[in-house]
Amino acid sequence: MASVTISNVQKNYGAMNVLSAVDLSIADGEFVVLVGPSGCGKSTLLRMIAGLEEISAGEIKIGDRVVNDVAPKDRDIAMVFQSYALYPHMDVASNMGFSLMLRKTAKELVLNRVGSAAKRLGLDVYLQRLPRQLSGGQRQRVAMGRAIVRDPKVFLFDEPLSNLDAKLRVHMRTEIKALHQQLKTTSVYVTHDQVEAMTMADRIVVMHDGVIQQVGTPLELYDHPANLFVAGFIGSPGMNFLPAVVARQGNKVSAELTDGQMIPLRPELKVEDGDRVTVGIRPENIEVGTSAALKAKIEVIEPLGLSTQFYTRLAGQQVCIFAMGRTDRGPGDTIALGIKPADVHVFHGKTGLRLS
Amino acid sequence: MVMQSTAAGLPQNSGGKGAKRSFSVAFEPWLYLSPGLVLLLLVLVVPLIFGVSYSFRKFSAFKSEYVGLAQYQALLHDQVLGQALMNTLWWTVASLVLQFFLGLGLALLLDRDFAGKKFVQAIVFLPWAVPSFLSGLTWAWLFNPIVGPLPHWLFALGLKAEPTNILSDPATAMWGPIIANVWFGVPFFAITLLAALKSIPGELHEAAAIDGANPWQRFTKVTLPFLAPTIAITVMLRTIWIATFADLIYVMTEGGPAGSTNTVATYIYVSAFKTLDKGYASAVAVLLLALLILYAIVLIRIRRSLVRYS
Ligand SMILES: Nc1ncnc2c1ncn2[C@@H]1O[C@H](COP(=O)(O)OP(=O)(O)OP(=O)(O)O)[C@@H](O)[C@H]1O
Ligand SMILES: [Mg+2]
Repeated sequence: MASVTISNVQKNYGAMNVLSAVDLSIADGEFVVLVGPSGCGKSTLLRMIAGLEEISAGEIKIGDRVVNDVAPKDRDIAMVFQSYALYPHMDVASNMGFSLMLRKTAKELVLNRVGSAAKRLGLDVYLQRLPRQLSGGQRQRVAMGRAIVRDPKVFLFDEPLSNLDAKLRVHMRTEIKALHQQLKTTSVYVTHDQVEAMTMADRIVVMHDGVIQQVGTPLELYDHPANLFVAGFIGSPGMNFLPAVVARQGNKVSAELTDGQMIPLRPELKVEDGDRVTVGIRPENIEVGTSAALKAKIEVIEPLGLSTQFYTRLAGQQVCIFAMGRTDRGPGDTIALGIKPADVHVFHGKTGLRLS
Repeated sequence: MVMQSTAAGLPQNSGGKGAKRSFSVAFEPWLYLSPGLVLLLLVLVVPLIFGVSYSFRKFSAFKSEYVGLAQYQALLHDQVLGQALMNTLWWTVASLVLQFFLGLGLALLLDRDFAGKKFVQAIVFLPWAVPSFLSGLTWAWLFNPIVGPLPHWLFALGLKAEPTNILSDPATAMWGPIIANVWFGVPFFAITLLAALKSIPGELHEAAAIDGANPWQRFTKVTLPFLAPTIAITVMLRTIWIATFADLIYVMTEGGPAGSTNTVATYIYVSAFKTLDKGYASAVAVLLLALLILYAIVLIRIRRSLVRYS
């Protein structure tokens, strides 16, 4: 096991800059999830850790060793690919034992390691099958097994679950997590699915356009998003955003929406009268039917049984509200919204950075 | 649709009527296929039957007569044919091995990126576009010490004592057509193997690299198993083409000197058109056909046992 330290790493393809100045320290035994929209450079960063992609500038360390010029096979890492990349002409046992065989490990030891990994993954009855004779979920397990038998210092996963159906994905998610809790191997996991990120990660790294936006535990990111991008990316349904102007009257601070309605803000917030800001409110932080002053019109109601989602219009913006239980209101009704000042996220109107 | 409606209607019919019905059901698909089948029969099978039937006859200038197996008996005692069979084996194996390995090398080279790749690719595939007669003539001239440079180069390199034509020496003559054939046939292997190489997912090589395979192990454990089906089929096709390919040899040496480059294919040609005994030529052709079919069966068996996954 080992830590992974990424310092000031860049990646260019010709003149195109794909990753700029990435800094990230991953502690020994940590499960870190890289998340971000398609094309933001997650895979590129992961492949640079694996040694499959050259490092244009900066330094990557695994443990205490700088690995910039170390071949993939000498980095002591294992990678699970999105396509699984199983060798189609080898049976499950050979697929899993391939790396050990190449290292000239004694036959018995290989059988032992493959056997116990297969048992752990529920693959012991499939050892003699070829990959094409397995289901997608089973193939995924073989790819996991191939990584486990190596007993590497670091596991790298590139969207390993994205080819599975929704149910299996949820199941494998918990299995991978359980596996990590047993093995405690440092893991870097790439996904574009924020739910996967929230449920699996010790820490999440949110990336956008080749730049790390924020690093933190799932709840840190949820409660204190560093900027508009993170705020919008983490959470489902997503955070509501409303452009506003700060109105400060002595000790009372509020945000004036475009239609003149006011949302109260925390008085200690470092904003001045007249500042342009974007306020962000999570759907579950809006209370329906209180006597508060904010009024919005219902456009769509989605009853989910346990809860209800309202899509309303407030100051020209669509605002989603998540409320537990059921409702007797219908589309077209005007409802009163209650929002606590502590639940309002305020972002700089131009830079999108969080104001505190 | 037809199958569905008849199948649905079937249980209601009983007895003789049902049997009649099922005959027409079985017959119907053949009816639809019949134009294609008739065409295949006319184009493929009929000429073959004629060709085989010629081998039971003897032809002379103006007539032919049925002679039973006499032509085949003559085969057994034909010394020239014996030598031609050995020459065919040598010609086929040498051409095939050189074509294959050079083609594989070129395909591996063209599978990676380098400056001027497009240009090299165009050059490599060029010989394929040259008519075989033209390449035969060109190579014959290249080997000719009066007009071609090759004998002088071989002499300068010390490979030959004198700058003579290798085509006129029975000991070396076969190398001429073989070299021309290799030049002519390499593009075939390069193209097909390159296509197969391109179909290997890149992640497989990356997974192998992470698993600890060095380049040679990646080639033998990942690339080769992937290429195996293509290799089996191309080697089989190519063997058959080379074994029956007479143009180059005929243009360059006409089977000589002293029968040293006479293969079964050129021998068939000579028997049919020079001695005008089409019956004997047909018998030789049937022999070659039988040998090649045998070879193909053996190779397909080997391929099946090797390639479990495709
Ligand atoms: N070989 C290459 N040459 C040029 N540009 C590339 C190359 N590989 C990737 N890129 C670019 O680098 C950027 C990051 O790609 P990357 O594969 O890391 O994205 P990603 O975050 O993994 O996206 P996804 O979620 O779709 O897999 C993309 O804009 C892509 O176009
Ligand atoms: Mg990716």
